[in-house]
Amino acid sequence: MKTAVPVIIAFLSGLAMILAFFLNPEKFGDIEGEMLQWATIIAGFTLLLGVVSIVRVNWRSVKRLESGWFNKAALLFALFITAIPAVIPVSWSPLFGRDNGSIYDWLFTYPNAQMQSTMFAMLAFYIASAAYRAFRARTTEATLLLLTAVIVMLWRIPMGESVFAAISPDLPDLINTYVMGGVNVAVQRGIIIGGALGAAATALRVILGIERTYMGRN
Amino acid sequence: MIRRAAAAVVPILVLILVVAVLSVDAFAQTSPDAADTGWFLTKRTNALVILLLFSAAIVYYTRRARKGDKLFVRKIAGLEAVEEAVGRATEMGRPVLFIPGIDEIDRIDTLAGLSILGRVARITARYESPLYVPVRYPMVLAAASEVVQQSYSVEGKLESHNQDMVRYVAGEQFAFTATVNGYMMRERPAANIYMGAFFAESLLLAETGNAAGSIQIAGTAQPEQLPFFIAACDYTLMGEELFAASAYLSHEPIMLGGLKGQDLIKVLIVIAIVLGAILVTSNGSAGNWISNLFEIR
Amino acid sequence: MNIWEKLGTLDRRWVYLAVGIMVIIPLFVPLKLPIGITPEARALYNSVEALPDSSVVLLTFDYYASTVAESQPISVAALHHLFRKNMKIVTMTTIPLGGPTIAQNVMAEMAEMYGKSYGTDYVNLGYKANYTAVLKGMGIAIENIYPTDQHGTPLDQLPLMQKVKNYADIDYIFVVADNAILDYWVSIVNAQYGKPIGAGTTAVMAPKFYSFVQSGQMAGLLGGMKGAAEYELLVGKPDKAILGMNSQSLVHLLIIAFVIVGNIALFTSGRRQRIDV
Repeated sequence: MKTAVPVIIAFLSGLAMILAFFLNPEKFGDIEGEMLQWATIIAGFTLLLGVVSIVRVNWRSVKRLESGWFNKAALLFALFITAIPAVIPVSWSPLFGRDNGSIYDWLFTYPNAQMQSTMFAMLAFYIASAAYRAFRARTTEATLLLLTAVIVMLWRIPMGESVFAAISPDLPDLINTYVMGGVNVAVQRGIIIGGALGAAATALRVILGIERTYMGRN
Repeated sequence: MIRRAAAAVVPILVLILVVAVLSVDAFAQTSPDAADTGWFLTKRTNALVILLLFSAAIVYYTRRARKGDKLFVRKIAGLEAVEEAVGRATEMGRPVLFIPGIDEIDRIDTLAGLSILGRVARITARYESPLYVPVRYPMVLAAASEVVQQSYSVEGKLESHNQDMVRYVAGEQFAFTATVNGYMMRERPAANIYMGAFFAESLLLAETGNAAGSIQIAGTAQPEQLPFFIAACDYTLMGEELFAASAYLSHEPIMLGGLKGQDLIKVLIVIAIVLGAILVTSNGSAGNWISNLFEIR
Repeated sequence: MNIWEKLGTLDRRWVYLAVGIMVIIPLFVPLKLPIGITPEARALYNSVEALPDSSVVLLTFDYYASTVAESQPISVAALHHLFRKNMKIVTMTTIPLGGPTIAQNVMAEMAEMYGKSYGTDYVNLGYKANYTAVLKGMGIAIENIYPTDQHGTPLDQLPLMQKVKNYADIDYIFVVADNAILDYWVSIVNAQYGKPIGAGTTAVMAPKFYSFVQSGQMAGLLGGMKGAAEYELLVGKPDKAILGMNSQSLVHLLIIAFVIVGNIALFTSGRRQRIDV
């Protein structure tokens, strides 16, 4: 019973979505949209689970003054100082809600957005160190990888483009056509088609109840 | 020998015949401008044919597997290394970090990641290695908690299970990444396993894991993230290998049957691509026919 | 241990320092480098240019604050092009955190520059959760998904939205995205509704979408800072992306230099085992 009910729900939900794709919405209404709205509502309720998890784990560390408790206290402070003013109606004060000039807006625009940008910008540093370590001509495949990487990196920048164009005016276009539009696209398509088939097969296994590990059943 | 070969070839020929017959019908009904007035969207007949074929192939091979047919699956080095990595974690007394991707549970990649988590959690339960599973979405938290608890239960190690093994970390992508990176540098997990949908954080996670000296195994169907994982991890599962991983780790014939069905469809797609390339290159009306045939509106 | 071997085992923090310096220098000393135009960027520009003036264009702000440096120049260049051709613009975002704020700020600044009025020349729909449902639902009726705009005004009170009811009333979709949402724009809106889609995306995502341009599912593609710089040149409004290309150029050259040094270290040491950075 504990296994059967979730499998039946998964089967019916999957079947409904498949049918919705083939049935005329003018006759049957927007079944798919309706189901997706349900999913959104369920997802909204599960947010509470997230809050409970984050508070339980961090509050316990703060209470026991475990190593790094101060960081966890800062996390809890940030969580509540962001969430509470955002859910208080704006009619109480322009500082509440999520409009321009609210506490939430200020927290997003100044600290949060800058921190997000910084984390993303760190990719440049990580790419440099990963390239330094990984692009070494140990094998034929690794040599091909590093040569392609060097050609594409040069081609993507004006100086490299000028160097290629000095060798032959058509060379930048040839790289675009044969490396990006040729080899790259062929590989991407192979992986995308394989991945899509794998995803579809997994979806079918889930709908048919063959794959149940994701719901804790082995 | 001949019977075995026939058993493999006959379904392919039958499926090709079905595609040929039904697709002519599909093409006849597929007109982008024609408005569908009935209950069924006839412009999507081709999609229905593909779906039925796909389902039939998976069900057929699953049934054959159930009857005891032996199915060959090639070795996937990254998955062979999972048990070794967990064993290493046990020896070193360090945790195993598992991230089931950073996308919502409605994404198949996440479900695949959770299925693999179930298998990995059974191994950590057996070895009694600490497991840490940070997640980005509450729905994934609920599912991952259930998966891990059940795995420990199946192994009879519920006493080693801890509710905080699976934790909601942050909904924001880079806040999640920063937290996990901090954990890696502090706790130095012996093994980091990344299985699911990953985006710009892939290299940030994998490079930090590399700096922390962990064995790293990744799997994703996002082609744009694969180069990063390949550069920074010890093993990388590419594309469909991620979706095959759960079946592979389970060693269950029924699960492997699905993989065989998937391969059959892939053979058909390869045939269609070769045929399509020839027909389109020949520049006749047949080229338009085959490209329209696969256009889903 | 010779100098090359020492360089081969260089602490990764030196690599980070070198990258930091190479990013900062060109911001103070611009290099004024010539930038070539790729066929994909030109195709995107031409597809927008081919639209009749005053066409309705849906412009999306599907990116997080983290990629503003790379994605926002694409939005700005696109708006120069669209407003110059007097297009009617509907904007929206599928990004909850930051998407609406970015869209609001960029649209307000660009509309003021071109003297465009809210409600008649452009409308900002804002954010709605569950992008799959949003993309599909807008094909039936935008009003079902967005009963009001970003500011809470009912759509039927906005002159532009009285004419734009669903995808059938939209002539072109210009997606600026830093994530997998672009897949859905192609697979749902282009494939199922036949709407032409042009896109700007981060450099790391761009290689994946070349196949969609080749197959005709996308009208054109701008890849990252380079794509933004190309579009700035095409619309004749050189701006932040062209400036950013200077830093990008030097960092690419630095990485190539590191790759060369790493390989010399590998060969001089004669080792084939893993060398940690």
